[in-house]
Amino acid sequence: MALRFGSRDMEDSVQKVSMLFNYGLPLVIILVAYFIGSYLENRHFRNIRKREDDLHGFPVVSFDTMPDDWNATTSDMVTGSIVISLDYFKRVIAGLRGLVGGRIKTYEPLLERARREALLRMTESAREQGFDAIFNVRLETSRLANARRDGKGTAGVEMLAFGTAVKLKSRFG
Amino acid sequence: MKFIPKKPRDGINVSDVHPLMEAGTLIVGLTAIFIVIALALVFIIEVALYFVPAETEARLFSDWMPDDLVTVSPADERLLQTQLLVDRLASHWAESPYEFRVEIDDSELSNAMALPGGLIIVTQGLLDQVESENELAFVLGHELGHFRNRDHLRALGRGIVLSLFFAVVTGNDVAGIGIKATDITLRGFSREQESRADEFGLAIVHSQYGHVNEAARLFERWDEDSANVREILTYLSTHPQPGDRVDRLRRIADRDGWNTDGEITALNW
Repeated sequence: MALRFGSRDMEDSVQKVSMLFNYGLPLVIILVAYFIGSYLENRHFRNIRKREDDLHGFPVVSFDTMPDDWNATTSDMVTGSIVISLDYFKRVIAGLRGLVGGRIKTYEPLLERARREALLRMTESAREQGFDAIFNVRLETSRLANARRDGKGTAGVEMLAFGTAVKLKSRFG
Repeated sequence: MKFIPKKPRDGINVSDVHPLMEAGTLIVGLTAIFIVIALALVFIIEVALYFVPAETEARLFSDWMPDDLVTVSPADERLLQTQLLVDRLASHWAESPYEFRVEIDDSELSNAMALPGGLIIVTQGLLDQVESENELAFVLGHELGHFRNRDHLRALGRGIVLSLFFAVVTGNDVAGIGIKATDITLRGFSREQESRADEFGLAIVHSQYGHVNEAARLFERWDEDSANVREILTYLSTHPQPGDRVDRLRRIADRDGWNTDGEITALNW
């Protein structure tokens, strides 16, 4: 009897451990993903705002023709792109949202970060090359890869910003 | 046109909702919706039960088995003896539409289950625990009681509902769900369903042996022997507390004037 008890104890703890893995682990992963994800997101937003402050005053416009009062000497295309992925927490909540529909609120800050980061990279690249302004700015996005073998679940999106950068003879005089 | 530099404005493209708030709203809301649907389905099952006679059920499920059952060899001596015992007991329930089949689940945990189509599952653990035929007869009679009251179909219905929800939530293919015995045992029965099954089981034991001596001995032992709580834990998760149960059985025997003394029949293995 004692022996059988021992083995049953073992069986019980094995069962408990497997229960823990089945139900506890995904929960832990979601929470860890949430905390790390929010930390990274907040840090990224702080970084974006700081760089936007630095670039304040650099004209980036979406007109498809150059404004008349810009007297350009040189022009070139500039691009900025970012590939960004969502964390597990965002994915799970978006999955639940997918059952009933509505705004996927957890994705919004993610794409906002991607747009602003892409624009920043484009603008920074233009400034580094000595350009004074960018017009005809466009944004494009593409789904990059699948996280799961079945082809569902997006691992990341690419956000691409591009435009025509110009050097001006006189800066908005 | 004059160019006036402006900083990008925050908070236009991002909803001002905390992600945890969003998660909480979704989880609570969806859970509530699921509970409502589950209750509706359980109600529909009750209605359906009304319209599906036991004969139809017995025919539909005549060779059905749950997917996760680990059976012992068909030549197992205990299986044969248990089947014979069930047949003897069932002969006292003349109008039974079922042809009862017994299967032994290769599990150490003590339990017995009534499943659709007259399938009775007893575990190895239970057979290890019983010390006389009378004890086993009462457990089997109790399961026959569930068949008579059609409790097993209610449990099955709830099991299916649970599996369905699980499939929907986890995104599995709904068509691929099998009915698992574990789903059914998870549900259990109400106290009243159990009492009625007990009464029927005791009546069958009385018809078979002419007395109800030792019928509840298994539960008495469990009640006295707190050391092997673990042994009986599974049976108790789906059945009443042994102490109350023994008392109630004794009262039933008193009320009906059934003899509580009598010769004990030994097990045939």
